[in-house]
Amino acid sequence: MAQGIDTASEDANFKVASNPANAKNQPPPESPESIKTRGLVILSFWAVVVLLGLPVWLWTTSIYRASLPLQDMLDWADGKACKPTFPLQITIEAPLLQEPEAAHLVRMTQHALDDLNEFSAHHLRLRLAKSFLPRDPQNASMAVIQDGYAAGSHTQYGRTDVLDEEALTVRILPKTGAQAASAELRSHSTRLDVFYASNQTPSVSSSSSNLATFIATKLQELFAEEQAIIANILQSAQTKSQAPQMSSSASSATRELRSRSHRSVNPELVAKLDSRMARSLKYAPTYHITVSLFTPSAAPSSWEIESALAEYFTPLLDSISGVSNFTVDTQVQLYATFSPSVHSPEYDTEQQIWTLREEDLSGFINAAEWPLSPSIGAGPTLNFVLYVPNPSTSPLVVKGSQASGWLIPQWGGVVILNPQDANATSNEATLSKESIRPALLTFSHQLLSFLGAPQTPPSLPLQLQTLTRIRAASLLLSASSTMGSLANLTVALPSIAIPETVSSAVDTTMMHLRTTCDALKEGRFRDALKNARIAEVQAEKGFFEKSMVGQVYFPDEHKVAVYLPLLGPVGVPLVMSALKELRRLWASRKAGQQG
Amino acid sequence: MKRFSCILLSLLLGLLVSADPDYKELLNLQPLNPASLLASFNFWSNASLQSYEQQHFKFIPRSLGQILQHAKTRELHLRFTTGRWDDESWGARPWGGTKEGGTGVELWAWVEADSDAGSFARWVTLNNALSGLFCASLNFIDSTRTTRPRMTFDPASSVTDASSESLFLLHGTLPREVVCTENLTPFLKLLPCKGKAGIASLLDGHKLFDASWQSMAIDVRLVCPEDRSECSIEMEQTVDMVLDVDRSKRPRDNPIPRPIPSENLQCDQSKPYAGNEACYPSDANLGQSWTLAEIFGRPIQGSCLAGDPHSQLRDSVCINIPHEREVNAYGDVVETKNAAGTSRCFAIPASKPFEIVLSHIGPQTFNDVSQPSLHASRSFTGHGQERGGVQTLLTNPSTTSSIEFVYFETLPWFMKPYLHTLSARLATSSITSPDIIQETFYRPALDRRRGTQLELLVSVPADSTVILTYDFDKAILRYTEYPPDANRGFDVAPAVIRLLPPFGNESSISQAPVYIRTSSLLLPLPTPDFSMPYNVIILTSTVMALAFGMIFNLLVRRFVGADEVEGWNLAALKAKARGRVTVLLDKLLGKGKEKKIQ
Repeated sequence: MAQGIDTASEDANFKVASNPANAKNQPPPESPESIKTRGLVILSFWAVVVLLGLPVWLWTTSIYRASLPLQDMLDWADGKACKPTFPLQITIEAPLLQEPEAAHLVRMTQHALDDLNEFSAHHLRLRLAKSFLPRDPQNASMAVIQDGYAAGSHTQYGRTDVLDEEALTVRILPKTGAQAASAELRSHSTRLDVFYASNQTPSVSSSSSNLATFIATKLQELFAEEQAIIANILQSAQTKSQAPQMSSSASSATRELRSRSHRSVNPELVAKLDSRMARSLKYAPTYHITVSLFTPSAAPSSWEIESALAEYFTPLLDSISGVSNFTVDTQVQLYATFSPSVHSPEYDTEQQIWTLREEDLSGFINAAEWPLSPSIGAGPTLNFVLYVPNPSTSPLVVKGSQASGWLIPQWGGVVILNPQDANATSNEATLSKESIRPALLTFSHQLLSFLGAPQTPPSLPLQLQTLTRIRAASLLLSASSTMGSLANLTVALPSIAIPETVSSAVDTTMMHLRTTCDALKEGRFRDALKNARIAEVQAEKGFFEKSMVGQVYFPDEHKVAVYLPLLGPVGVPLVMSALKELRRLWASRKAGQQG
Repeated sequence: MKRFSCILLSLLLGLLVSADPDYKELLNLQPLNPASLLASFNFWSNASLQSYEQQHFKFIPRSLGQILQHAKTRELHLRFTTGRWDDESWGARPWGGTKEGGTGVELWAWVEADSDAGSFARWVTLNNALSGLFCASLNFIDSTRTTRPRMTFDPASSVTDASSESLFLLHGTLPREVVCTENLTPFLKLLPCKGKAGIASLLDGHKLFDASWQSMAIDVRLVCPEDRSECSIEMEQTVDMVLDVDRSKRPRDNPIPRPIPSENLQCDQSKPYAGNEACYPSDANLGQSWTLAEIFGRPIQGSCLAGDPHSQLRDSVCINIPHEREVNAYGDVVETKNAAGTSRCFAIPASKPFEIVLSHIGPQTFNDVSQPSLHASRSFTGHGQERGGVQTLLTNPSTTSSIEFVYFETLPWFMKPYLHTLSARLATSSITSPDIIQETFYRPALDRRRGTQLELLVSVPADSTVILTYDFDKAILRYTEYPPDANRGFDVAPAVIRLLPPFGNESSISQAPVYIRTSSLLLPLPTPDFSMPYNVIILTSTVMALAFGMIFNLLVRRFVGADEVEGWNLAALKAKARGRVTVLLDKLLGKGKEKKIQ
């Protein structure tokens, strides 16, 4: 067939050649040098385009992306890099027991504790007081013990071999005339006094002891809520990190953790804890508290808030200032009306009260009109609103529960203050210190729950210690998950710029996360909190880097409009000549093979 | 009886002295001419410095107080103004011009800082925060719109001398800003009664921004008594507006003006063309008669802070009108007339609507408006896209005394004045008088970094007009520096004039200062076509492609004689195509045959 075409074209050529009117001179044959030169010219043009043009173009249009340790970041987010543990050091003092006896008691109690504890990440470790002096209950020696503790607590940083932040001191004392063991927790110290009946004195030989079981149960009780909260935090972090990647198999750590926490915590408690965690604010070094007086009319227009705060509110803030700082400001707002979407209060003729419908409570705060903007400065704002209703719609309570105060998760609390004197026709112009006391006490209670403090144990120092651990754990997890999000973002958006600052923030975060994790393992919880704070701040800084948020975006139409006028006219001759040259080379090679 | 009333009076006086209310409000109504009414709302609140610093806010709003504390601002003056004060028919400005700003937004503040740079950083913080609070573009007050005036503004705070060294005055203007309802709403939210009671209940965006001229002002200052016992923070919010009475009285549901029937038309007979055919409508014979509800759309909704014992003293409405005019107030109100016979005040009753009726019965007289002590008008001269000039006419109407004032102007950086062309001459002479401009403070502009600041100390002789002129160049902006709608022109902030008290008058030194502002100017700049970058790309690309193509072809092509070129041979092409078709047909038919055979 090919031959057929060839003959046809030869025929045509022959016809053309045979026509004398169209006779033409053939150009002289090209010299091999000029053919070679042309090839070289084309080659050099292409070389300039490929070796100089393309790199310059790529270099000038590329986006700087600092390298990030993506795998490490994802590992942290998945919880593979660190399994936080919370070993709590508990010191046992038994000044009236002999050393072997006491040691035996401690051992047995530890056994009992280990049996009771189902959540291995959070465990209690018992230790006998170091400067143990048996059978010498004199005051002098007691003083030595106390001094030893004091010194220990001062020099505890930097030592890693022992757990040196002790969570609790248990002092075992005999009590004459008592039938069964009893325990007493001091509300302002970290000491649990255990009294045992003299007949319960454990002997070294016995394998079980009532006293040991009693102490173990008691300790477990004390820390049950903390365990539940921490288990819940760890679990929710795991489920959160797994929600977006359902297909990926849950890591063994997660599964273990889940089963562990499911076993140890009943669902009711989980729900309760969940709602409490949802309510509480994210940790911040500074919180702003705004206490506002709202009233729908012109009165009361003033309140003795300064003295009331000093008396009922500031002491609490002082005691928790170790965890965070607080600023307090107050304001008075008159003529504050409900938003139109809220139903006006209904009168209950039976009980002679005005009621608000429960479903309206979420819209009670008229966000459009009430000036409750967040305070200026770093840190979240907590709003506590004291609402004094009109005398004509007073007393005002919530329908059903008849409550006069409620809490808005992560935002603040509301208390309706009904005037004490029901017969008063108009509100007093000034609210006295005594009349706002119940409201301030409610606010204090709400504040603690916003901070995520546990309800038990009743001792405030223990609660604050628990708070430290909870905060460290949640900060660790939140910073880790931020790292994961950043890694995912980097992968998902290839056109996003990653400046050097992000990379350094990530490095700092990772370093402090590691330190936090180690500190938690070693029981240095305050140290852990400190590092976790830095990690969280750095993680947020990296994630919310300004130059990263503003992404460069050029639509395709724009690119075509910019590139086509240049690349079209320049590119077409280049490509065509290259094709021609290639075809010539191919043809000559073929001819060479045939020849 | 007389003794009893004396005791009562002394008691009342004692109450007045002892009562130091933290909040006062006052509405002053003043008919300017038969057609217009000036309404001045003033809200004054006070708090002790101690409670302010401890952030216990009561009448000083928390939102503003926290911003000021965060930006370490000692004194703040913020102005939102629209319209032009017509001083020929309205006379002198209310509050001596101290509570108004130039068109748009004007802001000046004394900021505490260690250095110039530190004060500017705080100033930016302040602007950003206020921008959010007042829904205004205050965050656009950058270094090019910020100046540090030397002579024009004095702190209103009684600041102690020791700390004033670390105070910096910064001044910024946004002449382009359109003041509207979204600025009024946050302004009202700062008031204790939120516009729901008291005189603030009259303030309504529809009426306020329909006015011929309006100005909203916020002033915060620190006041310390002589003995420096306890300082206090004072905040004053002011709204001034000039209402066109006829326009305001139109019902809101039917706002279209209708022509007056010819039999009711009153003609101005003083016009030269006045006759039976021509009529220039006159308002000179019209009296003003209105009620508050007619003018503002509703009556006052009772007193703010009604339950307070001092409320009678703090809320009042005054109307500046001769005593012979009949004014009726509804509700049990206390009326007090001043001794000069020019005004009367009413205390607002608690929690009851309050209404005033200015009757049309009786003589339709007005108080004379006080004449301003200086007229100023500023305009552009020149033509073309390259150069221009500014001319300011400053007229001293007084026939007896000369007047001295500070003339303060901030120009954008793209308007480049030539200081050597600055000249001041009397309108009657054609040569420059050297003694008119007594002092000059000039800070030249830096491109894209700061604007020009020009402060002149000028004195105008009695009964004469001074013409102040200078020339300038127009800069060409970069492509991205043009605002949307660049062809509208660029606003140049109004000049601020501060009148200085006459020399030798000792008592007048402590007098309140008087300010006058000119109107803003609209500067047309050369504006490019905004599809320019694409045109430039296409043009340069074409030139480059042409050059490339020529060079490339020269290098690559082989040049042969014209008769040696192989042209298109139609017959050969035809034969080739025919051959192809035959081959194709053969192939198809051959296949079909083969199939048949099989």
